Amino acid sequence: MLGRASQRGRGALRRSFVIWVKVAVSRALIRIVAMYGDPLWIVVNVGGPMLTSLALAFLYRLAGLSSLTGFAILGGGMVSYWGNVIWSMASQLNWDKRSGMIYLYIASPAPLTALLIGMSLGGILGTLPSSIAVLIIGTLLFRPPFAPPTMAVALIFMLTLVALYGMGIALSSLYLILGRESEEVNEVLYESISFLSGIYFPSIGRFSPLPLAVQAVASLIPLTLGMDALRRTLFYAEGLTELWPNLSALAAMAVASIFIGLRTLSYIERRGRETGDILVAMK
Amino acid sequence: MANVVTENLTRVFETKSKRILALDGVSFEVQRGEVFGLLGPNGAGKTTLIRILTTLLLPTYGRALVGGFDVVKEAKKVRSIIGFSSSSERVGFDFVTARRNLWFFSQLYGTPISEANRRIEELAAMLDFQDQLDRKLYTLTTGYRQRLNIARAFINGPQVVFFDEPTNGMDVFSAKKIRELFVKEAKTNSRTIFLATHNMFEAEEVCDRVAIIDRGRILAIDSPENLKSSLSKPVVLLETDIAGASIGDPTQLEGVVGGTIKVDDENEAAKIRVILRDEDFLEKILGLLEKRRVRVFNYQRIEPTLEDVFISLVGAGFAERERGIEA
Repeated sequence: MLGRASQRGRGALRRSFVIWVKVAVSRALIRIVAMYGDPLWIVVNVGGPMLTSLALAFLYRLAGLSSLTGFAILGGGMVSYWGNVIWSMASQLNWDKRSGMIYLYIASPAPLTALLIGMSLGGILGTLPSSIAVLIIGTLLFRPPFAPPTMAVALIFMLTLVALYGMGIALSSLYLILGRESEEVNEVLYESISFLSGIYFPSIGRFSPLPLAVQAVASLIPLTLGMDALRRTLFYAEGLTELWPNLSALAAMAVASIFIGLRTLSYIERRGRETGDILVAMK
Repeated sequence: MANVVTENLTRVFETKSKRILALDGVSFEVQRGEVFGLLGPNGAGKTTLIRILTTLLLPTYGRALVGGFDVVKEAKKVRSIIGFSSSSERVGFDFVTARRNLWFFSQLYGTPISEANRRIEELAAMLDFQDQLDRKLYTLTTGYRQRLNIARAFINGPQVVFFDEPTNGMDVFSAKKIRELFVKEAKTNSRTIFLATHNMFEAEEVCDRVAIIDRGRILAIDSPENLKSSLSKPVVLLETDIAGASIGDPTQLEGVVGGTIKVDDENEAAKIRVILRDEDFLEKILGLLEKRRVRVFNYQRIEPTLEDVFISLVGAGFAERERGIEA
């Protein structure tokens, strides 16, 4: 009897796992297909960062700082991810709420966590080609002095993305309580975080032009720590021994933001069922 | 076997300033293979009921079972056996093809890929949009998007499918296709189709049984034929010329149980539909209208509709009720 119950439990667990994986994979795939299904998206997401990073690289070169052109190229490669997190990830559930899609998700057995993880995976994989394109073209044009990429670079890059998309998951859940004002919030966050995180210049550390208090605030943003660590490995050949504080902080931020995001989401869903709050948009 | 059961289902919405009783002790059962219609004006409680049954909203009191599972305690189990579509949500992702969109929704239920592909083809054939399957969503006409929305609700082979105003604003041809699909899915695949609508024609055409709902309460449940035949009072349609006349509210005349009035301002004409307490009141009403200088150029006793049943139960038509709710 107990054996049969345990078998049933295992079967249910397996079914839940299969659904979780299928939901995450299909959401990732849909994100990639949707990104490349819109030709304007490609122009904006490859062309925009490319032009900005080339302009800044020219500026560094004209100012006699050719050795720093790599900062601009690296920034161009990474800014697409930040743009993807804020415009496609953070706003997604809010958009899903306003369009009524979130109710289809809630009324299905699909776990919302799988949808969010799938959205992140799709965002990362979908942005990869544009990021690589910016890096290749920028490197060919300016030949910045990159140190040969190491395992440390790969690890920092991956950890930065996990922390960044973790922030996207947290924002996505928090945005559920917003209405149309989410677009204005996005504008404000995009510009201020782009600046503070030092995508194109070192906003923290010994070369930072910012006051210490601002640097302290900037250090709370995963992108700041990630960019700082990437610059230090790629341009100053520092290794994991020097960068462990950045890595530990990134890992902690990733765990914390994913945890906050998923807890918020589950709270909002529960509250929505009790009060009908999140159903307001669906009339 | 009952696929949907509600017992004393009640939902109260509370804000700082008011308390709204959206559902008031609703109890009924819907069987397997049945097309069940929930008919009532906007604001009657149809959407609230559907939201509770689809686990989107919790009831304040009472209980509801879908497929034998409790919508509160076993929400996950309910979600895996239902389909849901309302005219208010988007169909899917604009820059993705119709086929890929349907595939995505099938994956929310963990449907095996070969099974999902088979259902996509089958539903597209039934709703006549196979040639649209590989087009991106934003290129589809409204009619095809709406058909896709209906197909989505069936993509997981659900035991119970809920529709909230499914043919709202839909072209006649698409609406016909969809109604045919409802009947076919209920009769051949034994699915329960639960339909919230204020479209009387739709309710009469496809529903095996209809529940009439108003102000959160179920007023009557029966087959459309039985509901109409239960209305023993005469229904009369008066076609009138109202130029220079003060028509007033003819539904308030003595002997009138309730009715509706449709005024054609351009032609200064009106169609008055009234349910009389008994036939003797007709002469009296004609006399009263004459006194008000309303010229009745035609009148005839007509077959009752479901709205007449509604009028006889609450004293007003859907439009009048909706105006009352807005006010």
